[in-house]
Amino acid sequence: MDPSEVEFLAEKELVKIIPNFSLDKIYLIGGDLGPFNPGLPVDVPLWLALNFKQRQKCRIIPPDWMDVEKLEEIRELEKREEAFTPVPSPYYMELTKLLLNHASDNIPKADEIRTLVKDIWDTRIAKLRLSADSFISQQEAHAKLDNLTLMEINTIREFLLDSLNCMYKLRSNLQPGSSGRTFTDF
Amino acid sequence: ILQALFHCDHIQYTLVPVTGWQDLGTAFLEHKEQFRYFVLINCGANVDLLEMLQPDDDSIFFICDSHRPVDVVNVYNDTQIKLLIKQDDDLAVPSYDEIFRDEDEENEDDSGNESDEGSEPSGKRRRFDEVSWESRPNETYGRTDKNTLIPAAMMFFELAWVLTKDTKDMLWWAIVGLTDQWVHDKITHMKYVTDIATMQRHVSRHSHRNEDDENTLSIDCMRISFEYDLRLTLYQHWSLYESICNSCYTCCHFKLWTLNGQKKLQEYLADMGLPLKQVKQKFNSMDMSIKENLRDVIEDMKDIRIQTFGAQFGFKNRFLASDMVHAAAALLESTEKDESDTDNFIKALDSLSRSNLNRLLSGIDLAKKKLIAIQQTVASCICTNLILSQGPFLYCYLMEGTPDVKLFSKPMALSLLCKYLLKAFVHSTRNKRCKILPLVMAAPKDVEKGTIIVVGIPPESETSDKKNFFGRAFEKAAESTSSRTLHDHFDTSVIELKMEDRIKFLDALITLLS
Repeated sequence: MDPSEVEFLAEKELVKIIPNFSLDKIYLIGGDLGPFNPGLPVDVPLWLALNFKQRQKCRIIPPDWMDVEKLEEIRELEKREEAFTPVPSPYYMELTKLLLNHASDNIPKADEIRTLVKDIWDTRIAKLRLSADSFISQQEAHAKLDNLTLMEINTIREFLLDSLNCMYKLRSNLQPGSSGRTFTDF
Repeated sequence: ILQALFHCDHIQYTLVPVTGWQDLGTAFLEHKEQFRYFVLINCGANVDLLEMLQPDDDSIFFICDSHRPVDVVNVYNDTQIKLLIKQDDDLAVPSYDEIFRDEDEENEDDSGNESDEGSEPSGKRRRFDEVSWESRPNETYGRTDKNTLIPAAMMFFELAWVLTKDTKDMLWWAIVGLTDQWVHDKITHMKYVTDIATMQRHVSRHSHRNEDDENTLSIDCMRISFEYDLRLTLYQHWSLYESICNSCYTCCHFKLWTLNGQKKLQEYLADMGLPLKQVKQKFNSMDMSIKENLRDVIEDMKDIRIQTFGAQFGFKNRFLASDMVHAAAALLESTEKDESDTDNFIKALDSLSRSNLNRLLSGIDLAKKKLIAIQQTVASCICTNLILSQGPFLYCYLMEGTPDVKLFSKPMALSLLCKYLLKAFVHSTRNKRCKILPLVMAAPKDVEKGTIIVVGIPPESETSDKKNFFGRAFEKAAESTSSRTLHDHFDTSVIELKMEDRIKFLDALITLLS
């Protein structure tokens, strides 16, 4: 999977906006989007919110978890625990990136939030790398990881699968009686 | 600003830059089949458009032009031509009845909501400040004054504001448009200050919306701040010393084209406590203490400070409005080979957007070169007495061999040179009469075709309202001598002339203006 595909899936998340125009309810295949009245907050998918923001038709309200104190707590928790802690949102990385790129003027303390989210991401990826490393070196058969987001899984997916494949090939060549001395190209 | 508004509403458009009336005509012919709505920015108000372009009956023109006077046909035509002007803009257009004799019964006079009817017939005398201009009979120059009013950028910003689609970027562009009018001397100082006050209201409105003590804005967002800053051109992107040497105001104050003047500058810097080594460094590398106190230290020079705005986005990028004006102007008129005017226009347009900082920085470099060239030319002209008094005006001709003369084949650069030269001349001459004369300047434009470009500016004065009569004067002189001239520019005080006709044109001009 491509990171841009993951971002595409993330854009389905709902965010709150305050429009400055009015429009009746619109009926889309994915669902209905409620009537838009200027000044009244309404929930819309992220892709629509960003489109409106770029056309200056709305103001985006940051999600509840995008707050300096909450993110600081999550970061501390993540550092203390060895396992993965529950995330504020299954698409926290993509949401942060998109919202901070397009709507940073609606988000208070945007710079600090950016650093905090990056810290959380780094910690989690470090843990992921550690666990993948031990998985491969100890030749475990299966592992269970809770609370991983799609983006993190996607980051490690290609590497993990390829390396496991290589390991398998190496192991199967070592065993006697396997298909001759065929040295395949890795 | 208009492009941004179009983007918001997904409107398709084609952008065509034009350099003169001929260009406008050709562009119109090319596109008139496909389009119905035409928006003309900074051109077209002072000519009878319908007659010139011969459009189809269903084409509609929106004109946003600050050139005055507005042609009467444009004002009174209510179907095809729509003028974008402010409600209180005084067009001083004679009333409908005085000009048009209607054949049909109804006398529609709905020009009332578009112009403030001054009802002055064009023969009426207008009041001026300059003694020498008052004696001119108004029958010839009745409607020749070029009095530019609100810049187009501010007009479009007000439009965006009414639509509540205004952003800080648009505000910044409007400010740059206003500063451009001031830098190129198209509006009086009073008008500049009043417009700055208007913009200041918008700036406070935008900044208060976002900044509290607790919720600070991300550093990457654009912040516009009001500055009462020094009048040294480009000083934050140059060394302070260079900036002082190349800004018109300080150059004239110290008379830096003389040795005495340069000594005075050194003494002044020493008095102010600015070490020479520091001052010759790039501004950003100067000592923090000097930088912070700079404005207070240089304060005692009269009028050295001017009200303006600065923008900051990101940690590195701080620009004053005049910086961007100089950069964009330099890009617009860059004389590199193989670059058509349209390319230059697109480059200059790019430099205004925030994402093209490289363009902006290259524009600033070009502007520095241009300013240095201007100052050197001014110095050489004054030292070699190239400015001759021809009676009713001063005249200066740049020979072909002058260094950087290619830069001055463009109207804006030549006008800037003209302005600086006149200021410097006024400061350096002792002849009282010469101080109130206007200046006409000629420079070679195209060596192969043998044409020169001629520019005329009104006399230097604190209170002048920048009315420029040369447009009409040039036209008449050309007619009377049948010189081969091209009055193609939208700014009527700039014309092209064949080199051979120069002398007789000048003579005609002298007799006309005496």
